[in-house]
Amino acid sequence: MRDGPDDLIHQPVRLRIMAALTALDPSEDGLDFTRLKSLTGATDGNLGAHLDQLARAGYVEATKAFVGRRPRTTVKATVEGRRAFARHVAFLKAIIAEA
Amino acid sequence: MTIRTDEAAATLAEIDGVVARVKRSRIYRTAAQITILWGGVNIVRGLLVALWPATFGPHWFLIDLFGVAATIVILRTRPTGVGRFPLRILAAFAIVYAFGWVWSNLIGHFGPREAIAFWPTLFLLGFAIAGLLFGLVLTAIGIGLAALVVAGYLWSADAFPLWQAAVTGLGFIACGLWMRRS
Repeated sequence: MRDGPDDLIHQPVRLRIMAALTALDPSEDGLDFTRLKSLTGATDGNLGAHLDQLARAGYVEATKAFVGRRPRTTVKATVEGRRAFARHVAFLKAIIAEA
Repeated sequence: MTIRTDEAAATLAEIDGVVARVKRSRIYRTAAQITILWGGVNIVRGLLVALWPATFGPHWFLIDLFGVAATIVILRTRPTGVGRFPLRILAAFAIVYAFGWVWSNLIGHFGPREAIAFWPTLFLLGFAIAGLLFGLVLTAIGIGLAALVVAGYLWSADAFPLWQAAVTGLGFIACGLWMRRS
């Protein structure tokens, strides 16, 4: 018996966000907002809204800091986010395996 | 939510694509730092050898040793997104360096002009080969800069050390800045 899909993660932009963040080693700092925007192809507002949803679910955490005078937001997948993403990927693989 | 088999396969392919881009981006960023570093090393070496040939001409490799040490620091401390850089990359550099040393000193007996042309083109060859694995832009950079070094060897006469320093130094720095944005 397999788990069901994670509806929050399955949305295309959020899926790309989680794929990008979980591709990093957990010891790394995460990805900055600009880089994430480029990887997901999302606009500022769109990416921000999706990150808020993922943060509310406890899947990602954002850190804001200043580099010189410029604000910089870095986003990182949480342990729970990594687990949820791994479960979702396993679910997708199970669909293909059962076909 | 129901997900069809083809949709699941497309989603997994999408994930693989994003993961590959992240990993490539991390490799590019570390490579960019090393490229900018060696751009600086080339310029400093070229200027020192051109301005004080008696002092730095025979000891140019000391400047390169600084570059090697700084490269090791970058490789050991920078995350790449695929774990730490493996030691095999350093081993690859060591093998290329040993190959170059044997050919330029034991077999080829290169003079200063030949050595100035040989070393950058040898490592640019590595750039070109690495590009086949990590991105064809690196291949284009490697071949393009090597061609400029060879052109300088053939036609720049006494200005060759400075030409080489400018071409590889500024070329590496420009390439590093480009890679950092990629």
